[in-house]
Amino acid sequence: MSASRASASPAKLRRSSGLTFYDKIEPWLFLLPALLVFGVFLYYPFVKTAYLSTFLTNKYGEAKAFVGFKNYMDILTGSRSREFWNSMWVTIRFVFFVTIGGLSMGVITSMLIDKKFPGNAFASAIFAMPIAIASSAASMSFKMILHPSIGLLNKILGTQINWLNDIRYTFPVICCLAVWLATGINFIFISAGMRNIPEDLYESASIDGANAWQKFRSITLPCLSPTLFFQIIIDVINAFQTFNIVKILTLGGPLESTNTIVYSIYLDAFRNFRFGSAAARSIILFLIIMVITLIQFKAEGRSVHYS
Amino acid sequence: MSNVSVSSARSGLTRRQRNALWTSLRMLVCLPFVLLIMVPLLYTFMMSVLPADELYYRLWPSHFDFTSYLLVFTKTKIPRHIINSFVVAGSVTILQMITCSMAAFSFSFLNFKGRNVVFMCILATMMVPWEATIISNYLTVAKWNWLDTYHVLILPYGCSAMGIFLMRQHYLTFAKELHEAARLDGCNNWRFLATIVVPLSRPALGALGAYIFLQQWNNYLWPLLVTSTDNVRTVQIGVASMYDIDSEQINLMMSAVIICLVPSLSIFVFMQKNLINGLMAGAVKG
Repeated sequence: MSASRASASPAKLRRSSGLTFYDKIEPWLFLLPALLVFGVFLYYPFVKTAYLSTFLTNKYGEAKAFVGFKNYMDILTGSRSREFWNSMWVTIRFVFFVTIGGLSMGVITSMLIDKKFPGNAFASAIFAMPIAIASSAASMSFKMILHPSIGLLNKILGTQINWLNDIRYTFPVICCLAVWLATGINFIFISAGMRNIPEDLYESASIDGANAWQKFRSITLPCLSPTLFFQIIIDVINAFQTFNIVKILTLGGPLESTNTIVYSIYLDAFRNFRFGSAAARSIILFLIIMVITLIQFKAEGRSVHYS
Repeated sequence: MSNVSVSSARSGLTRRQRNALWTSLRMLVCLPFVLLIMVPLLYTFMMSVLPADELYYRLWPSHFDFTSYLLVFTKTKIPRHIINSFVVAGSVTILQMITCSMAAFSFSFLNFKGRNVVFMCILATMMVPWEATIISNYLTVAKWNWLDTYHVLILPYGCSAMGIFLMRQHYLTFAKELHEAARLDGCNNWRFLATIVVPLSRPALGALGAYIFLQQWNNYLWPLLVTSTDNVRTVQIGVASMYDIDSEQINLMMSAVIICLVPSLSIFVFMQKNLINGLMAGAVKG
């Protein structure tokens, strides 16, 4: 501490005569480490990705020839368009089902623990727990649950289904794991939203003779709508970026039925070393996510009065 | 209220009986959902303690066999991976606590030109998905010969917009007079931050720390890309690659999963309230 005290004194002495040079740069000194990290590992690579997306690259990722929007055209309409639009369609379906599933789990679990009962605290800890669980570890245990010969699911159902290698089942199964993982965060936010609904609304509804379903329809849902909207955005963005479970459980297969756009970026860049094309895919994905986030910011501005 | 008594009179139950009925109904409905979340973990644990000869036909072991845990610690590289994970997650946590506190201090206590613009630029990074930067980051660190080192796992996560935002939210609740009084007493900003602000924001820092540690402990893709030797590999990669190496040793694999879940679940159990509050505060403008 004595060292920092010594450095303080010159600044302090000259304070009366206005700001010293040190005073002017001090705020930036506090920001320096943060700006360094963001500069080197966020802003620079982001610009570089955009730059690479307009180049043909060699297998070391060095830009070799400027090709303009050719990488984009190849993906959107050209030689790789079939694979790209397939991954887009897989991703959209995945996002849709996981968001609906995650929200439903969130609403149901939140309603279940809304009233106090013995074991209430335990149940809510369990419902929130998936936030702490690594998706890679969860994928490993699902790998065993879905194992064709000794897995739990086949033991319970008495079947011999190869869940992760049968085109009818793999996609739904992956969605279920993603919903399981999303339950924690959905439960935390939705139950908090539910706690904020004033109790007297329910009381006056009871006096007016409303039944449980009417109360849910006309009190719980409308009061919860800002929370739900916010949660939808979080779920959509998270689902868009799901990678680990696909990488560990299916590798995009069978027959590309789980080849999400994020996984196709990984394949393009780190298996096929087509960095330019992968960069173009990343930029497309970034634009999609940016639009979703902007919608959130807009909508949040409107819902401020609500809460 | 009259309504309640009318309807309970009709069904022949007192209000207390009705409440008890509802409570038990609620518990009954709750149970399957609790099981749904717990079963994968319970099953993983069961598989890790099943004696090898019972693996194919039993779910509940005849006796608990913990030898596979011993094997994980003696025969596999998992202990090394665990140490690596602790080094990486611990360093990132400490580093982010420092960088985020400093940046948040600048944004909330100091006045300077361009403050809002810089703050918005940092918040905007939350919009950039990891795919948009990970390819270039990989190429950069490969060119610098940073692959297979600890710092390649630590430095890219040296700061986060979420952390800065979280700490700033907390600092904004401080009274401005506190800062002025400290300045008048000759306390410079560095000392003010270290000896007054940081000790006063222990709960927020704790929440941030727990959040970052969990995130890093569970991190998968970046370590997968930039490490290839056991000396720096983190535990998630180690566990996930066991299936490829030795898919026959199911007990071993499942024990490794349980072992790598212990630290993150402990943090969750001990920091649950703190962690959830932190998440909520950060999500206000996540």
